[in-house]
Formats: sequence, structure tokens, C-alpha cells
Amino acid sequence: MTLQLRAINKRFGERQVLNQLDLDVANGECVALLGASGCGKSTALRLIAGLDQPDQGSIRINGAEMVDVPAERRKVGMVFQSYALFPHLNVWENLELGLRMRGGTTSARDDRISSVLEVLQLSEQARQRPSQLSGGQRQRVALARALLRDPLVYLLDEPMSNLDAQLREDLRPQLRRLMIGGEQPVVYVTHDQQEAMALADRIAVMREGSIEQIGTPRELYLQPASTYIAQFIGRPQMNLLPAQKGVVTGIRPDDLRLDPDGTPCTILSREWFGSNQMLLVHCNSADLRLVCSGETEIDAEPRISWPTACEHRFDAVSGRRLPSD
Amino acid sequence: MTRGLMTRRSLLIALVLIWSLGPMLWQLLSSFTTAEALVNDELSFWSRWTLNNYRDLLITDPPFWRYLFNSSFVASLTTLLTLMLAIPAAYGMAKLPHRLKGSLRAAVVGAALFPYVLLFLALLELARTFSLGNNLIAISIPYSALSMPLALLLLTAAFEALPNDLEDAARLEGLSLSQRLRWVLLPLIAPASASTAILVFLFAWNEYPLALTWLSRSDLLTLPVAIARIAGSSTYSVPFGTYAAATVLGAIPLLVLVLVFQRQIVSGLTNGAIKG
Repeated sequence: MTLQLRAINKRFGERQVLNQLDLDVANGECVALLGASGCGKSTALRLIAGLDQPDQGSIRINGAEMVDVPAERRKVGMVFQSYALFPHLNVWENLELGLRMRGGTTSARDDRISSVLEVLQLSEQARQRPSQLSGGQRQRVALARALLRDPLVYLLDEPMSNLDAQLREDLRPQLRRLMIGGEQPVVYVTHDQQEAMALADRIAVMREGSIEQIGTPRELYLQPASTYIAQFIGRPQMNLLPAQKGVVTGIRPDDLRLDPDGTPCTILSREWFGSNQMLLVHCNSADLRLVCSGETEIDAEPRISWPTACEHRFDAVSGRRLPSD
Repeated sequence: MTRGLMTRRSLLIALVLIWSLGPMLWQLLSSFTTAEALVNDELSFWSRWTLNNYRDLLITDPPFWRYLFNSSFVASLTTLLTLMLAIPAAYGMAKLPHRLKGSLRAAVVGAALFPYVLLFLALLELARTFSLGNNLIAISIPYSALSMPLALLLLTAAFEALPNDLEDAARLEGLSLSQRLRWVLLPLIAPASASTAILVFLFAWNEYPLALTWLSRSDLLTLPVAIARIAGSSTYSVPFGTYAAATVLGAIPLLVLVLVFQRQIVSGLTNGAIKG
């Protein structure tokens, strides 16, 4: 295990931001911290970086205790949501500043910077100020700076949330190629479940300062540990039927199907996306989302059903998953 | 409608310009006018002008440029001292927890608003006790102290306006506190530092009561005191021409300073006004 958090507590004033947080990230593994805003995911990242101090708990990188090591000497490469490029320096100087302060010969420095700029297709922008760059270019400069840090851990704090959807999809392969799957563990903070599923080896869904469930994207999707996870992972979100005898049944919109022998229902709305479409139907006093092929003709009063094998069953009180019987 | 508004605005600007530049132009004209012409408007146009006022200033002992030098020296030293102390202090203040910062800021505002003439006797007593009189380096100490509250307020606001992520990023890049200040924070607050420097410089340049009491040797006087001495040099007449020439010469270094730094001054003064 290369990055290890144990029983981390952190409170800001009255608010317990992190509550007994444990996390292990292996060499070359990318773990996404996923959660709604205010769940403590960015705080966790800042603690790993050393920008804030935990109230209790231990943070180890390669087995070495880091809590008392100041941020300057922790050797983490971080990409900020705001990119945090130095506005008074051009791209080259932005990348050079850290290298120069950490020592080393000028020629070695220049070689490294030019090769990184080349890899990220920024060579032509080397003499431009951050204010002259596009959002995608700024983001790549921030990546370049983190790469040149030779870090023990990569920390990415919502690195793509300021970019438009198209650019995000273009940058994902680049990000994966450069940072993810190398030597270092990667912690990727995001509130976008799609991004997390696309990039991460494992996803830790956080809620109120601790991890509600951690696992591969597949595990989280197929075996959500609670109704919270079930509704957080997968889009459109899982349908939860009204509780019956203390059991909430969840069913994914893609598992519902139109069936002439099924339950009758009425259509409330229909969204057509081309390859598929989403219907919101009212059925047995519950509103259900249903996804089917875009080609399907929809009756005015369709009938629906689902295979029992696709049901997820949760405890109505705690929201925890019930063992399948 | 728009045109009417435009002409009204130009008129307003012209009035403001006359208001602010008029006295200066008047002073400039007076400095080139003979003593007789100043009191007698029947002299012909061509016999009104002279350079004698300036000559009189430069042949006195010590010559007038000596006072210019003294003032420049004191004002520069004061500015340097103030910035050297205020920048680290402002950085510290910007990093304080919120509650503490509020009360500290209130105290600093109080100090900035305090009429410093009330300190005049106490400062004089200090000068006497520690023999700080007639020393151009020593007088910059109370000057810096008096400019400190304003400098602190301006620079703290500048540090607070910087996004926290920038310093965090610099820390993660491995920069120590002094390296962060030197390479990231100072360049970013340069406009605020420039406008603070100008204000401090102006204060030290114009200061009169302390200079009057702390400095008595004639070769150590600063401009305001020296100019006052010219005005009061004769009981029976006021040497208007020489007086005007002295103020013109005394204003030149300031004009140069403001012209050189005008962009920084404007952006520093409006800093924070645009944001937020």
C-alpha cells in the first residue's frame, strides 16, 4: 500500500468534516473520491497534500508517516480545480519556478520542460501568460506542473469541472496516459460519477465525512451497499419503489422493460436522446424512470415489467443493502 | 440627448481640471514673475518675467537643492522601512483566523484615523531622550511608524485578494515561505505595494510639525520647513516669487514619481473595487 489514511478526523469549527476516514490506494491505482459537495472529499485531498492538518489520524506515503511533514516537502503533485497557475509568469516560467527552487542544472531543467510541453502539445504556448490560454490549455499546464514535481502521489481536485463536456472527454485519455497507471497512486476528487467510472480503478463514495462504499465501478453499480450509493451511481438514477414490509426495492431504469403482460402505467414525460430514450412513467403509485432503445415505439398506455433477478433490496430504515436470498 | 450628455460631461471634466491644475499653473507663473510685477499689474507684459527667483534659491547657503535631497532621502528611507515592515506584517494579518483579524483590523483603522499631531509632544520627548534630533535617518523612524497603519490596511487587503490556491500551489511546488513571498506573492501584490509606497512617500515629503521640531540644523531641513523659512525670512515683505519657485521645485520629484508609477497607482487604488 502506498497511500494509507487511517482514522482521519477533521473538524472546522462545529462541523465534523471528516469522520474516521480510512483509505488505501495502491501503487499505480487510481481511486476516485466521489460525493456531493460538502461531503469532505476536497478536505481529504488537502489533508493528504499537507495544506490542512488532520485533528487525529495518520497519513502514510510509502509507509512513512506524513502528518508532521510540511506540504513543501511532501512531494505530492496536485492539480487544482482553479488550476492555480501563477498569473504573472508565462507557461514556461510557471513550470520552471518549482524546478528552479528545488535545485538542479539549468540544462536538465530546460530539457524536462520542453519534453513535457511537447507531450502536452503546449510548445507553441510556452511564452504566453495563463490569461492568454484557453481553459483546456490551462488545465494541461496544471497537469504539466504536477508531472514535473516527480511526486510520490498525484492528487487531482476536480481537474475538469471547469471545462465543457466535449473537452472533458478529449482530455480523459490524455490524463489516463500521463498520470494514471504509472508508479504513483492517484487520488481523483470529483462529483461527476461518469468521470469517476471512466477513470478510476476504484471509487470511494463519500457521505458526511466518511466513505459509504468503496469498490470497483462494477461493484458499485451491481452491488450498491445502500440506497444512497444506488442513486448516486448510474444515470439515470435507480428507481426506488415505496417500502413494503420494511424493504425498499430498487430497480435500474435499463432493467425495466416494456412488456404486453406487465403492469399498466401512464407516461408522464419522455426524453429522446437518439440511441436511447428515457420515459418517466407512473405505475402503482410510484414514478419510475425507464430507459429503452430510441427506436422503440411507445404506446399511450404501456405496460412494464422487470426480471426479479435485477431487483436490489434495501432495508427501509437504514437504507443498507439486504443480502440477496 | 447623448451629445448633450457628452458636452456636459466634458464641461465637468474641464471644471475639475481647472480646479486641480489652476493653482499649480498660477504657482508656476508666479515663480517666473518679478517681485514688482506681482504687486503691480500696470507693468508691460515683456518686463514681467524673470529667472531671479530660481537663482535666489540656488545661491543661498545651503543651496535649495540640499533640501530637495534631504526630503528625498527621508521620504525614500521612510518608504523603504515602512514596506519592509508592513509587507510581512500584512501577510501575517491576512493569514490570521477570522475573528482575531476583525478586532486587529479595527485597532489598525483606529490608529490610521488617529490625529498624529496629538503625538507630537510625546515624540519630541522621545527624540530628546534618545538624542534623535537633527538626524535624517532617525526621523524616518516616527515617519514609518505613522504610515504603518495605512500601509498595513492597504497591503493586507492586497494579500487577502489573492486566491489561496496560488500560495497552496507554490507550497506544493516545494517553495519555502520566503521563496513564496519573493517569487509569487510580492510580484502579485506589486500594484498595491506601489500605491502604498507613493502614499507613504507623499506623507514623509509633506510632513511638517515633526520635521520642524526634530530638525533644526539648517543643512538638515526638509522641504516644508525650508519653504516655510523662506516665507518667513523677512518681517516686512513676503517673497512671493521665491516662495513660488521653491514650491515648484519641491513638486517636481513628486510629479516624476507619479508619472512613472501612475499605472500601478491607479490599479492599486481601485484594487478590490473591481473584484467582488
